[in-house]
Amino acid sequence: MGIKAKLLDIYDKRYKGLMIFTIVLLFLAVGLLGYNYATTGEFVKQGVSLKGGITLTIPTDTEPDITALKKDMQSQLPKADIEIRRLTEAGLLKSIIIEASDTTEDDLKNAVIASKLIELKEDEYTIESMGSTLGASFFKQTIIAVILAFLSMGIVVLITFRSLVPSLFVILAATSDILCTLAAVSLLGMKLTTAGVAAFLMLIGYSVDTDILLTTRVLKRKEGTIFERIVGSMKTGMTMSITSFIAALLAYIFTSSDVIKQIMIIIVIGLFFDMLNTWIQNTGILRWHLERKAKKHGQN
Amino acid sequence: MGKTKQLFTNWRIIILIIFLIFAVISIRPAFFNEGVTIKAVLKNSSAALAGIENPAPGSSPMSKEVIISMNNVPINTVADYYGFVDSLDVNRTVRVKTNRNSYTLLTRPEYLIEELNETEQKIVQETEQVNETINGTIQSINKTVNKTITVPKTKKTLIGMQDLGLSIMQAPTSNIRKGLDLQGGTRVLLQPAEKVDDDMMATIMDNLQERLNVYGLTDVIVKEIRDKPKILGEGNKYILVEIAGATEEEVKDLLAKQGKFEAKIGDIQVFKGGQDITYVCRTAECSGIDPNRGCGKIEGGYACSFMFSISLTPEAAQKQADATRPLTIEHLEQGEYLSKKLELFLDDKKVDQLNIAADLQGRAVTEIAISGSGAGVSEQEAMINALQSMKRLQTILITGSLPVKINVVKTDNISPVLGKEFVNNALLVGIISILSVAVVIFIRYRHLKVALSMIVISLSEIIMLLGFAALVGWNIDLAAIAGIIIAVGTGVDDQVVITDETLKKEAMQYGGFAQRLKRAFFIIMAAYFTTVVAMVPLVFAGAGLLKGFALTTIAGVTIGVFITRPAYGSIIKILLGE
Repeated sequence: MGIKAKLLDIYDKRYKGLMIFTIVLLFLAVGLLGYNYATTGEFVKQGVSLKGGITLTIPTDTEPDITALKKDMQSQLPKADIEIRRLTEAGLLKSIIIEASDTTEDDLKNAVIASKLIELKEDEYTIESMGSTLGASFFKQTIIAVILAFLSMGIVVLITFRSLVPSLFVILAATSDILCTLAAVSLLGMKLTTAGVAAFLMLIGYSVDTDILLTTRVLKRKEGTIFERIVGSMKTGMTMSITSFIAALLAYIFTSSDVIKQIMIIIVIGLFFDMLNTWIQNTGILRWHLERKAKKHGQN
Repeated sequence: MGKTKQLFTNWRIIILIIFLIFAVISIRPAFFNEGVTIKAVLKNSSAALAGIENPAPGSSPMSKEVIISMNNVPINTVADYYGFVDSLDVNRTVRVKTNRNSYTLLTRPEYLIEELNETEQKIVQETEQVNETINGTIQSINKTVNKTITVPKTKKTLIGMQDLGLSIMQAPTSNIRKGLDLQGGTRVLLQPAEKVDDDMMATIMDNLQERLNVYGLTDVIVKEIRDKPKILGEGNKYILVEIAGATEEEVKDLLAKQGKFEAKIGDIQVFKGGQDITYVCRTAECSGIDPNRGCGKIEGGYACSFMFSISLTPEAAQKQADATRPLTIEHLEQGEYLSKKLELFLDDKKVDQLNIAADLQGRAVTEIAISGSGAGVSEQEAMINALQSMKRLQTILITGSLPVKINVVKTDNISPVLGKEFVNNALLVGIISILSVAVVIFIRYRHLKVALSMIVISLSEIIMLLGFAALVGWNIDLAAIAGIIIAVGTGVDDQVVITDETLKKEAMQYGGFAQRLKRAFFIIMAAYFTTVVAMVPLVFAGAGLLKGFALTTIAGVTIGVFITRPAYGSIIKILLGE
């Protein structure tokens, strides 16, 4: 109990310091994304489903030499941009995914066959190709979708609380979640796919949940002190986040689908940042705001 | 009152149970369903001639006809079916027993006709109009002459048995439609190269569907997709074509070609689709079942005749007159027709042939009636088939070639092996996720009843969501599975809010149970609306490829908020409350 009490004490007394930590985190994320944009022209690397290209999924349970395969294919298709990944289910190899842009389906298949490093069995592999113009319009639209989703979310939050400042805090927390998660995705070297964009939209919903819970309990309830209400809502909110976090993490580990894997890893990362941004950033900033308001009222 | 009785008399829980029952009825699970289901029947195939009907478009998986045995050999799997078909020989009868009926099929030979590099002489009889002087007056009479023509030699070789014409799949174990990701197949996304209006889009889609049918691909989905809701303006339009099974090369080739339609008499091209036809009647006054001939009984069923009129350009009419002039007249049962038929070709493949009425010979008519017929086991079916053939023909005549060039913007060819694996894996992932949630909840509340209630509620949400998808005909694909997982995750979050708001000691001082539940629902509704509004733009973005994900999530959280959360509140109150 000693540790718990000590942690709570830090959480209570040093909330401003902790809050600054999350703000710094947000700035770092924005900085990284800005740096990406300045150097590569995109915030996060886009996968072939967003920028156009071919994805070849070959089911296999014998480990091929991926470096050799990539080298061999690259020498056969010098113009193409080739990337090879392993897809695992519970840690066991399930498939090899070859992603390539600037080549054709036939060339890619022939290159795989010619490499002799992995077997391409008829009817067992999956090949998906995305035209680059469609990819580009896809990306543009999903960006618009994210912006629209954000605006509508903001409106719902404003209607819910009918109070501008706390609503803005909620929106700031959701924004921080999205940006930090994007930065983490980029740091992990992952490429964003269409499924990933869907996951980000979902994350808006997930991250706002706990912020709404916090703001409702702190603003609309009268029982106990502000800090007691915060701790009470944190208990509920953390249960919510931890159940979702563990379920999404296990789904990430056990799924054999690349689509579900990307959605789940983004939810996992997003929920991690959501815990920080809700219980440190949003809580801190809300508390600071309320205490300042109370002080003002006290003085008047 | 005992707790069990309380549970089953609570109206919120009763509503949940009613919806669950509806969902199960709509899913219609049959775990041990055996046999193979008929997905489609090819026109004019042995199967179609034997009277096996094509399933109605949009019919639910469980309502389709299932083959149980062939020649008394039980057919339980797709492999059984192909094994049996391989053992068949030409010109044999096969008794096919389905869950509805018994059919007798006759296997037909398949020939390969090759044009050889040599020619042969053939004597044909032709009728010519000659002027002769009879009894001092010049009269035009018909004279039959023997003519020798040179034709390329052909070789006809028997290459085996014609396909029975049945497109089959393993009998489904429920009404849940699996998306392409989960069953394998080909998906092609097409985009017209220029802006097209709604009518033209419909024309293009009819044309594409027609082509796929002409090529024997009947089990096809052709759908229009917009990336903007209609009220918000034009946006981009796409055509999504999904085919279970077909290979990608075949389909891509077929769809990307702009298409060429021509009508020939013998080797002479009379008119081409599009430019030579000025008008095709599709209204009831000049198209439909032929009023003079109607429907009649034929051997083994009924046949109906249709007709519609088309207008040709004067040039095309003249070409037709020139082409029909040298033909002879034949007396057939139905009337007098010319010796050669008007043959219709689509991309150099013959799609239909029409008899030419004798009185049209040599005349440059611009208005011509095109007729044909459809057969079926019942008069109703014959009529439907006749009208369908008519529509198909009209489509070809109107469109001929596609009005605009079509670009293939995305193709996916998904392996059936991987698809099958995803289904099993999704079940595993679902079970693991739900169990892990239950464990976390148990650790937090130390109450088995809470953890069990949440499992029950989560499972019933999944069942209702699948039931809803089966009812409205949604396909469950990978993205939809992700949507289900996420909707259930949101459900668990809300149940945690309900549990904490209603059962916490500090909350107890705060009014009665109903009031506390109301407080919980304030948070739940706010969270619900943010999720829904965040998902709505995704319904349209990205050529609709994420629509499944967005709709499943929205449906899932909606079912949750209006059905399962209230029920969960009641369960918790009864099991743990005061």
